[in-house]
Amino acid sequence: MDTEFKPNIVGFLCNWCSYAGADLAGSSKMEIEPSLSVIRVMCSSRINSNLVLSSLLWGADGVLVAGCHPGDCHYERGNYYARRRFALLKKILEVLDLEPDRLQLSWISASEGKRYSEVVNTFAEHISQAGPNSLAHNPKV
Amino acid sequence: MNGQIGVYICECGPNIKDRIDIDKVIEDISSLGDVKTVKRFPLLCSNDGKKFLEEEIKKEDLSHLVVAACSPREHEKTFMDVCEQADFNPYLFQLINIREHCAWMISDKNEATAKAIKYIRAGIRRVALHRPLEKKEIESIPDVLVIGGGVSGLEASLSLAGKDRRVYLVEKTGSLGGMAKKLSQLLPNQGSNLSLIDEKVEQVHNNENILVSTSSTVGDVRGFLGNFEIVIHTDGETSGFRKAQVGAIVVATGFDVFDPEENSQYGYGIDNVFTAQEFEEQIKSGNVLLKSGKPPESVAIIHCVGRKERGYCSKVCCCYSIKFAHYLKDNLSNVNVSELYVDLCLPHKSDQEYFEEAKKKGVHFVRSEEEINVNQKGDQIEVEYHSEGKTDSIVVDMVVLAPAMIPSGDTPELAHLLNIPLDKSGFFKEIHEVLDPISTPIEGIYIAGCATGPKNIPESIVQSQAASGKILSSLIPGEKIVPEVKVSEIREEFCTGCQTCLSVCFYGAIRFDSFKGISVVNEAICRGCGSCVGSCPSGAIRSKHFTYPQLYREILEALR
Ligand SMILES: Cc1cc2nc3c(=O)[nH]c(=O)nc-3n(C[C@H](O)[C@H](O)[C@H](O)COP(=O)(O)OP(=O)(O)OC[C@H]3O[C@@H](n4cnc5c(N)ncnc54)[C@H](O)[C@@H]3O)c2cc1C
Ligand code: SF4
Ligand code: SF4
Ligand code: FES
Repeated sequence: MDTEFKPNIVGFLCNWCSYAGADLAGSSKMEIEPSLSVIRVMCSSRINSNLVLSSLLWGADGVLVAGCHPGDCHYERGNYYARRRFALLKKILEVLDLEPDRLQLSWISASEGKRYSEVVNTFAEHISQAGPNSLAHNPKV
Repeated sequence: MNGQIGVYICECGPNIKDRIDIDKVIEDISSLGDVKTVKRFPLLCSNDGKKFLEEEIKKEDLSHLVVAACSPREHEKTFMDVCEQADFNPYLFQLINIREHCAWMISDKNEATAKAIKYIRAGIRRVALHRPLEKKEIESIPDVLVIGGGVSGLEASLSLAGKDRRVYLVEKTGSLGGMAKKLSQLLPNQGSNLSLIDEKVEQVHNNENILVSTSSTVGDVRGFLGNFEIVIHTDGETSGFRKAQVGAIVVATGFDVFDPEENSQYGYGIDNVFTAQEFEEQIKSGNVLLKSGKPPESVAIIHCVGRKERGYCSKVCCCYSIKFAHYLKDNLSNVNVSELYVDLCLPHKSDQEYFEEAKKKGVHFVRSEEEINVNQKGDQIEVEYHSEGKTDSIVVDMVVLAPAMIPSGDTPELAHLLNIPLDKSGFFKEIHEVLDPISTPIEGIYIAGCATGPKNIPESIVQSQAASGKILSSLIPGEKIVPEVKVSEIREEFCTGCQTCLSVCFYGAIRFDSFKGISVVNEAICRGCGSCVGSCPSGAIRSKHFTYPQLYREILEALR
């Protein structure tokens, strides 16, 4: 295994829970793996196949979608839609011959700084092990 | 684009300065196209910092602004206010979180610096695609529609009506008061005295700011917080309809009771088997009598009628059943009273004592499984019950059934009219049963009292006061309403009219224009969650501040 491999992970976090959880991880000075880049959206329901597949096709080695726990979405039902789309996306990834576990969905609340650090660090470790995403090609911006 | 982007990096005291090599960040960022200036400042959120930013925006004639500092959850609003102060559209600004998400999370200074550069580059790329968004102010009407004239509706009307606020109180039946008005007395811990309810009815009638419509229903409701258009239909002598505009709505349509005829085991229909309401009427008239005209010598009160069928406990029946027992013991000499319950629910602080007192007066409390059978036995009634695995029975002169509280009959239609959801028992559904028990997904529409489930009078009143508080604080006479700015819009040319978006919008902000065959977002209702954007198969919906191009830019920078 290439020990030099540094993955690039995209993390879509909902504003109300998971982003706040990430803030808490930061203000508690928890050490977080820098390979994940955070993109803030208002709700996990904004995330769909366009955004996830673009990320992977453009070279992301992993994609994390994180939202409020079921029942706690700031917009009531958004994370249920995210969950359904996620199930479908997993199937699409199989068809594309990409390991489905390059995509992860997690529920992280605003008070779960520790959980944020665990989710991100474990996912980053997993992606490091999995190695580079074979589909990747990085278009010039 | 010929941008004039200004990038300002906050040292945040030592918080960012010590953990990120700001000079390196500046060096790296300065060479990016469209970046006009990159500067650092010790504490941007301080008064000096805000003044500095305001002057910079003007002096540098910026087209867009990026601030790299702390979390948007902490100071986005602060810097947006600075933008407004500088006559600069606050949506042309982006705050990059290099404190929580870099300085505080990554202990290696080089790594933290590299990460900060990555985020700031993403911010610069993103902000270049921001368009100015305009805040809208909408006139709002302080008046309120209250549907249902039971204690809940009365309380809401009295709390809300005032010099600057009219209340339209719509009651389906011919008179106000709801169930409370039909009771023989209140529980002793509630003061027993029913004049409390009569007083409220009178106060409502005497209040010139409350327009009461009895024998009336709500025919149509359109609009949103601050601007609902309603139509009230009135039957009977003064039949006709009245149109009005209100800013908010309180739904207080109360409950109905389970019909014991639905299940023959309760024996409703047999002589001398009464419902609790019928029994309340008898107490009220002062004549608790059998069909034969004689007073009963033995009475069985059956709790939990319909509990199994409905799947929930109605909370108030145990207490009023004990009230009946007290009445019987106090008013009929030598009467034998039995209470058959499945579970006793005595939730309030004085209930236990009230129950113990009833036992002292000789009332028999019998726990029974739900299979109670009420059958005629000669002139009398046999009540068969199951207790601890055995079948037993008692024979009595009179049976009183305490039926479950169920959603009031019009609930489904009203839910449809108002576009608010029902729970699995068929009552109106709270946004959150614990955290926000009087709000609905539609801003400006509140639910109170038994309309959301079984409650006693004090609980109903508390809910109405809470709903009134929400309305009083959000619909201030003379003040305009500023709806969410970062909403979604549907681009006509791409919409195929599939209506997927209608089904995902929790707030009912999207309607279908059947003439054009497309869907349309009502921006005054939209909260900007982006569910519809994510679900539209044609990519026709644009989330104004989280567009695809903006997010794609962020993704590309993340992957650089
Ligand atoms: C037998 C019995 C005894 C009780 N005893 C007690 C007691 O001693 N103490 C106590 O605290 N609680 C008692 N309760 C509970 C008490 O009755 C309720 O808590 C209270 O009535 C709830 O008030 P409400 O306004 O929410 O509902 P309701 O009293 O049901 O009032 C709702 C009103 O809305 C009207 N309405 C319904 N649909 C529409 C529509 N579509 N448009 C316009 N108007 C409509 C109805 O006609 C009614 O007037 C008892 C209940 C029962 C059944
Ligand atoms: S989901 Fe998209 S295409 Fe379908 S109706 Fe809504 S906007 Fe139009
Ligand atoms: S962004 Fe959310 S609230 Fe607005 S129309 Fe779409 S689904 Fe409804
Ligand atoms: S707001 Fe967090 S998932 Fe919807």
